[in-house]
Amino acid sequence: MIPATLLTNALLVGAVLFCLGLVGILTRRNLIVMFLSAELMLQGVSVTLVAWSRYHGDWGGQVLVVFVLTVAACEAAVALVLVLQAFARTGRLDAAAWQSLREDNLPRAIDRELPAGDSVVPTWPRLTPAGVRPEADASQSLERDHV
Amino acid sequence: MDPVSTTPVAQSGMLLAGSIAALASALWLLLPKASDTIASRRVGALLGALALAGFAATGRSLGCVGEDAVFLTVAAVAVVSGLATIVTRSPVYAAIWFAMALAGVSGVLLVLGAQFLGVATIVVYAGAILVMFLFVLMLAQPSGMASYDRVSSEPMLAAAAGAVLLGLLTLSIGRLSAAEPAACCRMPSRVEAAAAAATGTVPEASPLPAESGGNEVAHLGAQLFGRHLFAVEVAGVLLLVALVGAIAVVSRGEATEADHRREDR
Amino acid sequence: MTFSASDLLVLIPLLPLLGAICTVLLGRRLGARAHLPAVVGIGAAAIVAAILLGGTATDVASGGHGAAPRPVEMITTLWRWATVENAQAAIPSDGPGAAAILGGDSAASLVVPVALRLDPLTATLLTIITGVGLLVAIYSIGYMHDDPGYPRFFALVAMFVFSMSMLVAASNFLLVYVFWEAVGACSYLLIGFWYTKPEAARAAKKAFLVNRVGDFGLAIATFLLWMTYGTLDFHDTLAADGTILPGILGQTRLADASGYVGGAVGTAICLLMLLAACGKSAQLPLHVWLPDAMEGPTPASALIHAATMVTAGIYLITRSAPLFVACPGALTMVSIVGATTALVAALIATVQNDLKRVLAYSTISQLGYMFAALGTGTMLGFTAAIFHLVTHAFFKALLFLGAGSVMHAMGGVIDMRRFGGLRQVMPVTAATFLVGACALAGVAPFAGFFSKDEILAALHSKAHPAAHGADHAEARVAAAPPTAGAIRPSAAQVHTRGQLFQTVSRRSDSGAHGAAADPVGLDALDHPSTWKVLFWMSLLTAGLTAFYTFRAVFMTFTGPVRIPKEAGHHAHESPRVMTAPLVVLAILSAFAGWVLFATDALAHFLSATPSLTAPAVARTAVPHVFHLDLAIQGTLAAAIGIAIAAIGHLGRRSDSPQFERYLGPVGTLFANKFYFDALYKALIVKPLEAVALLSAFIDRTIVDGTVDAIGRVPFAWGAAVRRMQSGLVQRYALAGVVGVLAIVLALAWQLRP
Repeated sequence: MIPATLLTNALLVGAVLFCLGLVGILTRRNLIVMFLSAELMLQGVSVTLVAWSRYHGDWGGQVLVVFVLTVAACEAAVALVLVLQAFARTGRLDAAAWQSLREDNLPRAIDRELPAGDSVVPTWPRLTPAGVRPEADASQSLERDHV
Repeated sequence: MDPVSTTPVAQSGMLLAGSIAALASALWLLLPKASDTIASRRVGALLGALALAGFAATGRSLGCVGEDAVFLTVAAVAVVSGLATIVTRSPVYAAIWFAMALAGVSGVLLVLGAQFLGVATIVVYAGAILVMFLFVLMLAQPSGMASYDRVSSEPMLAAAAGAVLLGLLTLSIGRLSAAEPAACCRMPSRVEAAAAAATGTVPEASPLPAESGGNEVAHLGAQLFGRHLFAVEVAGVLLLVALVGAIAVVSRGEATEADHRREDR
Repeated sequence: MTFSASDLLVLIPLLPLLGAICTVLLGRRLGARAHLPAVVGIGAAAIVAAILLGGTATDVASGGHGAAPRPVEMITTLWRWATVENAQAAIPSDGPGAAAILGGDSAASLVVPVALRLDPLTATLLTIITGVGLLVAIYSIGYMHDDPGYPRFFALVAMFVFSMSMLVAASNFLLVYVFWEAVGACSYLLIGFWYTKPEAARAAKKAFLVNRVGDFGLAIATFLLWMTYGTLDFHDTLAADGTILPGILGQTRLADASGYVGGAVGTAICLLMLLAACGKSAQLPLHVWLPDAMEGPTPASALIHAATMVTAGIYLITRSAPLFVACPGALTMVSIVGATTALVAALIATVQNDLKRVLAYSTISQLGYMFAALGTGTMLGFTAAIFHLVTHAFFKALLFLGAGSVMHAMGGVIDMRRFGGLRQVMPVTAATFLVGACALAGVAPFAGFFSKDEILAALHSKAHPAAHGADHAEARVAAAPPTAGAIRPSAAQVHTRGQLFQTVSRRSDSGAHGAAADPVGLDALDHPSTWKVLFWMSLLTAGLTAFYTFRAVFMTFTGPVRIPKEAGHHAHESPRVMTAPLVVLAILSAFAGWVLFATDALAHFLSATPSLTAPAVARTAVPHVFHLDLAIQGTLAAAIGIAIAAIGHLGRRSDSPQFERYLGPVGTLFANKFYFDALYKALIVKPLEAVALLSAFIDRTIVDGTVDAIGRVPFAWGAAVRRMQSGLVQRYALAGVVGVLAIVLALAWQLRP
């Protein structure tokens, strides 16, 4: 194996992952998906770090990836709590629900055109029913037919 | 393969520009929009595949065999899953695609010889973080697909920006491989530098880490708990602080009516 | 001299300055004793001044009586204030200017030393300033008590004494200018002492602004002096290499008859100085501020606007006597201005009803007298002017303080028509006021009689040169332009391409009187017929002076007792602290003139002043004689004036009809002060207001409009870009990414292979 080729291969993969994550964080409105995108960017960085570490024969890059993992875990814990709080306040996981910092006299930005319905009707996976159908509790209407 | 002699510079530039345009179009077509159709998504997927291939070609990394075949497989898994993560409407599917991408990344890491990190990525991300994501989704997601999952903010501009950035990165990586790697790109590591200082000789080739996996984890562990012990301790404290902080925020942050009114300003 | 005169000389300004500083620092803490630092400081300065006067007198006397007076002066250079290297380089090279006069590069830099001088003129004035200042300060202890600005008043008085003593002691035109401004500032502050009173504030502003006109003249004159003579020092300076750098009034230049520039430049300098003197000494046409200045506290009026500051103009002209003598036209203008002012002010004074305003116009009139005497350009004229200055300081301060005493007792009322028979209420004030009035009117043995007689004699000698003997004939010749080789600069004066500045090259053969100075048009005024007119004007003024003075006395102090109700029930004589200075001044007013005249001490003393030892002046000295004919004429005029006043006012109610009812429109003219204020308002104030309105319009519309328009640009820009502040996090992030991309692209473009 040619080390330089492996290096460039890995770097390219890292760059692609990073850019995809970037596009995701810039476009997706769901806070959770934004976070996933951020993690995707971190993965791209991790791959790049490991590639250089391997290339240089220096362990520093891998050690740094360990810390990236640590920080990602911390970040996920704190950020998800904050997402939950945000959801508790607005009832939405929408990043655009937070517009308080806009200029005073600007109207609140709302989506001008929304898809009327799902253009692609999702086909949800179903399990074959088995056993006795559980009694539905009428008081608990939080049951979902899909996610 | 010799990347320098075969591809003229102008051709490489055209290829890169085409790849950028294709990726931008693909992302724009694939990202959730009000005007989505199945056809547009398929065109987008096709364009995306083209674009990725183009980037790969620009990076001059195709055509290797053996171990590179494994690498190509896992890399393709990682990249395609990553793309799927950001374009899927349903956040749950996005999370699952992300897990897939993690698997690919883990494979890439394994190919790169970082066994510990490959495994750790799977364990920590897929096993812990991603599950946490899914829990949050379960707690927070309202029934049905939310409207904000079906629209994007500024998809065209963001897609273009991402594609241009990727083009730039590819360009620099391509230039990296086009030049003489050992002369211009390789920095001697600190270990090398120390060795060179000790022996008085300048090492010519890269002293790659041992190919065998057994020593790799042990070396990383020695590094972590040797040179970087303090940082590891700090990272442990950081985890503890994040834990305490998360609990504190949860227990305090009950929404009030006033908060709702303020948000609905 | 057995004492270190230079140390003592420094003490005279220093002590009042310390007094002022102490008053400022401790004024509030001292409370009712806030007068102490100022009074002690001025008092000590007065004692030092008296010692110095004695010392200088001894010095003069040692030169011998009767012989040509030997100049007596002492210079104390404290420190070098400013040095401008190579200042002469500013003069164009094709007009060598002063460098030629001075001959050498040593004067190429402007050096301004803080130098004090002591000579007979300075010693005399210092004594007057500190002496009258002390009496006024003591008087003020009584007059100003209970005033909320008590410490401020004494601080200002002490500050004024400091400034004034520096003004007369400075030996440099620039320093003179500085303290010329300083006394103006003190005057401004004292006129506006009761600044909450709108009239006082207005009067202060008026005084300051009118004085600016004169100050402007002095500034230009100073510039011209520097350009012409290459120095601003009065005295000669001994350079390090042993050469003597002649000062403007230094003995080197004084000794040389050709040392002074005449012609257009000299006349310009002198006329500008005259303008300055007119401003400070309230002469026509800049006299309008002095009557209004009576809004200030009466002691300030007595000190500044009667006895000392207004004499600064007299001082300046006397000090610059050699310059003036070289320019007969300017000299004649001094007399014309003076005599006209004297007459006009006297006419206005005859119809005033405000006691202080009568005295103010009388001050203007008497200063005009002094100017008339100065303008003669003879030794007699200069000494007579200073003599009158001294006696006038005594009796005018006395009259003002007397008026203040009346005002104090009458609850602030000063309108003479509401007074009557006050001699029964305030005997001391009445008696001393009468003494002062007699002195002012020129009644025989009192001070004013002698000094006024001297002035009339000086004018008469110019009007009738033949009657006064050969000395005067020579003076006449000396002052006349065509044959004045002895006085004119013995040099060719060349106009260089229309330049104002003339080159005066000192030639070794001083006999070459070939080209006399270009006669200036004004010089034609210096003709006996002019002087005859001026003499008669002065004589008429003497009569008018007697009339209005005694009119005031009769209206205020005689007739049935009438006291304005503002005085309340306790109209009484003023306290001892106020009457004591009155008595001192009354004694001085009564006897000083006679003593000084009979002994000829003052004239002899003053003739040793360096400025007056210039040959052109010294040559005109005449034996001291008593001009009986002139005395009779003066006394007759005074007697007629007093008689008319007595007919009109003695024993009558002061609010009965006045004389002006016989004068018709002329009386209206007098009552309206010859419409000077209205004239200034129409000619200067109104056009300036129009210009100001126009400027305001331009400022508001064009300038402000432009600025507002520029101000609206960022506002509009902001309104346009504020839409980007959507509050959406993802747009912000996108903007950040685009920015990063831009930077990376730029870098990539720069680093391209």
